[in-house]
Amino acid sequence: MSRIFKYSFIFIWSAFVLTPLSWALVTSFKPPAAVNNGATFIPWLQFQPTLDGWKDITGISGYANLFPPLINSATVTFFATLVSLTFGCMAAYGLSRFSYGWKHYKNPDIIFFFISQRIMPPAVLAVPFFILLKTLHLLDTKLGLVLVLTSGLMPIVVWLLVDFFNQLPKEIDEMAMLEGCNPFEAFVRTILPLSKPGLTVAGMFSIIFGWNDLFFALVLTFTNVQTLPVAVVALNGTVTPFWTLCASAIFSILPLIGLAFVVERFLSKGGFAGAVR
Amino acid sequence: MAKITFTDIGQTYDKDPNQETWALKPMSMTLESGRSYALVGPSGCGKTTILNIISGIINPFQGKVFLDENDVTKLPTAKRNVALVFQFPTIYKSMTVEQNLAFPLVCRKWEPAKIKQRVGDIAEQIGISHKLNRSASKLGADEKQLISLGRGLVRDDVTALLMDEPLTVIDPQLKFELRKKIKQIIEGKDITVVYVTHDQYEAMTFADELLVMSLGKLVQRGTPEDLFERPNSKYVGNFIGSPAMNFFKAEVVDGFAQIGDYRLNTAVNLKKLSDRYLEFGIRPEHVRVQGGPGDNVLTVDFIGFDDLGSTRVLNCLFAGELIKVKVPRSFEMPEQGLIDIKLPKDNLLAYRDGLQVL
Repeated sequence: MSRIFKYSFIFIWSAFVLTPLSWALVTSFKPPAAVNNGATFIPWLQFQPTLDGWKDITGISGYANLFPPLINSATVTFFATLVSLTFGCMAAYGLSRFSYGWKHYKNPDIIFFFISQRIMPPAVLAVPFFILLKTLHLLDTKLGLVLVLTSGLMPIVVWLLVDFFNQLPKEIDEMAMLEGCNPFEAFVRTILPLSKPGLTVAGMFSIIFGWNDLFFALVLTFTNVQTLPVAVVALNGTVTPFWTLCASAIFSILPLIGLAFVVERFLSKGGFAGAVR
Repeated sequence: MAKITFTDIGQTYDKDPNQETWALKPMSMTLESGRSYALVGPSGCGKTTILNIISGIINPFQGKVFLDENDVTKLPTAKRNVALVFQFPTIYKSMTVEQNLAFPLVCRKWEPAKIKQRVGDIAEQIGISHKLNRSASKLGADEKQLISLGRGLVRDDVTALLMDEPLTVIDPQLKFELRKKIKQIIEGKDITVVYVTHDQYEAMTFADELLVMSLGKLVQRGTPEDLFERPNSKYVGNFIGSPAMNFFKAEVVDGFAQIGDYRLNTAVNLKKLSDRYLEFGIRPEHVRVQGGPGDNVLTVDFIGFDDLGSTRVLNCLFAGELIKVKVPRSFEMPEQGLIDIKLPKDNLLAYRDGLQVL
């Protein structure tokens, strides 16, 4: 009984998640008639698939080219994630192993300070960030966007990794220090190699949030640096056929789907909370 | 190879001014270079705290630690050059056995050729040469503990080797083997060893000297023989030896311990003492079943025995006190009822308020 329940739940949930995706995928290959003359679902049977929608977004038809925004998005996301992971994992290790504090504020308060940055609605930060980047002449630059995104991604990384490091036995780094490492060497040589699952999860979240950022890109960049979400939204702003929009939507999530397949290996191996001893 | 000295070391985690609540009450002691010591006591008595203070994992709340003549109280762990084997096998899972053993030397920036040779030597000593290229995470718990030990010994200048209940997670049938092996490896090396355990047999077979702890205090230190023959308190009498020491209360009359109608000679000159009552203790191993009456012989009620395998323990009642007598398996059991037992004078020790009277 519980099996039936479980499988029907999985089935319904998969349908719920996959239907819009598959519908977008199918629509991206439809010719105009297949969209305008009532709903069609099955390629070759109900309509002859065409690549028109995809030609519209890849610059082949001269309509729009999403490759430069893709590269912008990838660059910005990569560097924001790199900076967040590099400094975030050090911060998280420090918060996991050493005590800091001022008066009655201790490590948990510092961790809360980090995560509280995410509680704030981004709109609150739009104007301050705009003025900040303008002063630094970083408006409409990749560097400016990387800095702003890092401020949002680092809290997630720190928050996830503090938990992860807390689950690694502290005897490992104590042992490394007994054997002659300073705290930094102990971290790099013994803790980091064990942290692949944690780093993968933190990196994944960081990439997803960075990749999906529309708000800051919209506010802080204009023509020079157009990221993928901004470009897709811009397509929507003009009168763009459905099949082209669907193609752009699929196009923008493809890299993340590819990434999910790559990192899945690290995630299942040992798991996020993996047993260490 | 260093002498370890504690001067007035005390540890508290909540900084309570009342020293009675401290995890480690202020203590001073010296552990001589090249000897092996076992710290024994029940869980939470401060054994691990002492190890952590020696290794520098925690800084003591008060007092100073010396390795030889150097004050290392404030020195970071890495500078103390102390080796530690934790209760749970601590190995670097991401490395091979060889990389694990080489790790302390890599940290010290030794030359690769020298490292390889040294690691080879140590691997041979701990009997793991054939597994050098294996991933360390694939080994059994006993081999992991050997690698922890090997990482400690691979540094030829290590000042002290600390072991925190290293056999706790080892299967019982491997425990004996591993203990023997560890002992063999350490023997012949001029190294100061501090071994923490709650198992008195492990402690006695392992160490030259035992330090018995209770509630953050060092109760008695001495060789296994000292602790067995001359426990300085009822606590040590109960903790060391199995079954525990027999204790009974008796009146002091004319230099004898009077219990019921019997007068017993004791190891202490009771005439010098002004006490009316004292407690007396004797090891079950020292009590003998006697054919008939004599000096220091009591007639007791034999009510049954416990079979411990190689030995048996007779339970005897006398004036409401239980007295245990340990006999070899070959001993022919008497019928239940009245029997005579002898409490040899030299083994009958006196205690006042839980402490030995000398």
